[in-house]
Amino acid sequence: MTDTILALIAEELAHIAADKGETLPAIDPDSAFLGGDLPIDSLDLATLLVVLEQRTGQDPFRAGFIQFNTVGELAALYRPNAA
Amino acid sequence: MTAAPPPWFASDARLIETDESYGWAEIAAEADHLEAEFRTAGQAVVEAVRPTTVVAALAAAERAGVALLLKRHKALLPSGKKDWDEGAANGRTSGFSVLLETSGTTGTPKRARHDFERLRGRLRGTADSSARWLLTYDSGAFAGLQVILTALASGATLIAVPGANAADLARAAVRHGATHISGTPSFWRAFLMTLGNERPPLTSITLGGEAADQPLLDRLQERFPNAKLRHIYASTEAGALFAVTDGRAGFPAAWLETGVDGVGLRIRDGVLEVNSPRAMLGYADAAGLSEDWLSTGDVVERRGDRVLFAGRLDGRVNVGGVKVSPEAVEQLLLAVPGVLDALVRPAANPITGHILTASVVPLSGVEEAALRAAIRDASAALPPAARPRVISMVENIPLGSAGKKKREGAA
Repeated sequence: MTDTILALIAEELAHIAADKGETLPAIDPDSAFLGGDLPIDSLDLATLLVVLEQRTGQDPFRAGFIQFNTVGELAALYRPNAA
Repeated sequence: MTAAPPPWFASDARLIETDESYGWAEIAAEADHLEAEFRTAGQAVVEAVRPTTVVAALAAAERAGVALLLKRHKALLPSGKKDWDEGAANGRTSGFSVLLETSGTTGTPKRARHDFERLRGRLRGTADSSARWLLTYDSGAFAGLQVILTALASGATLIAVPGANAADLARAAVRHGATHISGTPSFWRAFLMTLGNERPPLTSITLGGEAADQPLLDRLQERFPNAKLRHIYASTEAGALFAVTDGRAGFPAAWLETGVDGVGLRIRDGVLEVNSPRAMLGYADAAGLSEDWLSTGDVVERRGDRVLFAGRLDGRVNVGGVKVSPEAVEQLLLAVPGVLDALVRPAANPITGHILTASVVPLSGVEEAALRAAIRDASAALPPAARPRVISMVENIPLGSAGKKKREGAA
């Protein structure tokens, strides 16, 4: 189950959006990070990944870029028990 | 009467700027207007936001025989000719040349002077007039100007969306059928993420401005198997240096012996040095370059038959193609009232290469929310790439064995 990771992503995205004075719409596993409805840009997404690494202790990208488009695809890259 | 297009603007070249299409006929009047303005003022300065303005200004400055400053940093307006054009005032260089502002993120940006013909000397095109180039760089950036000039000289179409982010650009690429795109690795990652199932008809993919990593190169080749893939290495100081077309990160170590395309390469103390016929004429505010070998400031390591890039000698890090100085940003934070101490470090990530993070020690009695707001206000003066994105409140800053802050990034 990646529910805990999904919740963590939603929480941190809300922080990032709030810092910019934006409100995050409801997100689900199919929400696209870029080019969709989320009020975030590449730098915000980069920030999310750094914060996720701080909070989970995991860096799924250690070996380089892995393609992902949606919240669900990113969540699947983390082991949920470490959150 | 408007003049004929300059020789570097092919008669059938088009610019699609925010979905409006321009040819020379639509740009000529702005060039005439700017030429008169430049002749009266004796100097030429424009804000390089729209490619049509940049093209008009280049044509106007060339006709007026003056140096053209393409301005990218609004806050730092030159107050007078002497501030930015000492070279011309000294008679060291005269006539038409182009001054570009480096993407320096703190302090006064450096301005690099380029001879226009030499700038164009490196352009490769594609004599393919059916090409449709997407502009992903600032019009006033070295890389942006190269894309603009390449497209126009070959009679191709340039697609530009001034002020757009990567997602907007990806949509423009799909809408206008882009075939040639040159961008930073950070751009390409965001581009791939935005595309979804769309697939613009790319035949030429170029990466530059940051070191290209192998997983990204593999991913692009897989997604666009028919596109020619290359990553280029350039610096503002030395100009465009070489292109690597074998789909592998870094460059062949053999080039340290043979050079490439007339450019000599060597490693001194772990730093790449180059000997380039295409070096710029000199910084506007410094004496002309006299050394044959020029340090790039890029740390490299030789691994087997490859030379790989390993960061900047001066500690600057690449944030989405913008080189930022953690130390300079730290100085800015230290000046914020309520901050006792601060440490700014790069954090690696697969989207923008790095972002900056800050650890801040508050003065006792300072409220955290107010301090965060003050830091945010102070950071607003920085370009987005240079702003510390993750700020942690800490009790003290750990020092290394030499008593210095440990700035190395959490990799």
